[in-house]
Amino acid sequence: MMTKDEVFAPLARVRGDAVVVTTMGAVRPWARHSSSALDFASADSAMGHAADLALGLALARPERKVICLNGDGSMLMSLGTLVTIVAAGVRNLVLFVLENRTYEITGNQPVPGAGAVDFAALARGAGFRRVYAFAEANDYAGHVAEVLQGEGPVLVVAAVAPGDDGPLRRGATESERYLRPSLAESAHQMRRELEKT
Amino acid sequence: MASARLIIEQLCGCGITDVVTLPDNASKALLAGLAARADIRVVGVTREGEAWAVASGLWIGGRTPAVLIQNTGFLESGDALRGTAMRMRIPLLCLLTYRGYATLPATKERLASAPVDGRMLSRPEIDSCALLFEPTLQAWGMPYDFLHDDADVAKIPLTVEVARLCGHPAALLISRDTT
Repeated sequence: MMTKDEVFAPLARVRGDAVVVTTMGAVRPWARHSSSALDFASADSAMGHAADLALGLALARPERKVICLNGDGSMLMSLGTLVTIVAAGVRNLVLFVLENRTYEITGNQPVPGAGAVDFAALARGAGFRRVYAFAEANDYAGHVAEVLQGEGPVLVVAAVAPGDDGPLRRGATESERYLRPSLAESAHQMRRELEKT
Repeated sequence: MASARLIIEQLCGCGITDVVTLPDNASKALLAGLAARADIRVVGVTREGEAWAVASGLWIGGRTPAVLIQNTGFLESGDALRGTAMRMRIPLLCLLTYRGYATLPATKERLASAPVDGRMLSRPEIDSCALLFEPTLQAWGMPYDFLHDDADVAKIPLTVEVARLCGHPAALLISRDTT
């Protein structure tokens, strides 16, 4: 099992100009490793809809990678999205499922099927082209560049220890840069940022 | 009834690039027409809540999507709509098919702006989804108009403009099967 920092630090080094969509327990930890204008926090938004938001971005911007840092609880809320992603024919989406087996934001209550659900098998069954599962930091760090190369869609199951990230808020006093604007401002800023390229 | 061909011509004229959808009978002809087009991409979803998130992502990425779902799915997808397109102020064209429109009771019994009488939800001659549809749209603050037949197809660019001016989704309610 890894820490979130052990997942995010190597990823931040190789993400290049990829758009990164975070949600729930990934939002604040990712901000410790990146302050890119191409980071988007799906926070103060709809639960379980980061992966499909990222799908829309990936379809709109086929020339660049879109990485979604989803949680297992969030993924369980919209498992059909695995099928939608494949059916959409998207090739540039890399979907992480950070499997901590809990709803961390609300106090680490266990998710249904904690430890029993095989997200890698679900992704293969949905038709994902490439599926990875990592539980050990060195193994992951040695493969993360490969994960981002080539065609997707890619699903990465990363076994991580539950953290203590609490409920997310947005506002000018937030320490994480991408939580300071409202969700609407963030969405419009990202659109403008992507229009530059 | 509205012609799918005319609707698609208007969508193209408005620069719609993608239609995010889950099919129903009313949209069957429209989706068949869209499938034959190369200039509008159809993105199918497994549940209507996904439609709002996918469309929002498309818009953030620079596209001009529309959402095409049935009113049943609209009701099911409320929090996804709230937390994506509404909360993000995405100017989306929404084509919402109106299952049960013909079963709605006369105006004396039901006004679109009146609170729903819960007892009416169990009346077998009324489609309860239809009964809840317009009050729910109003609760979301989503502007809407009707697309009953060919004469109403011209409302599509107007609704796109309403969405742009409001800075959030605006809807056309398709009350009969497209042909």
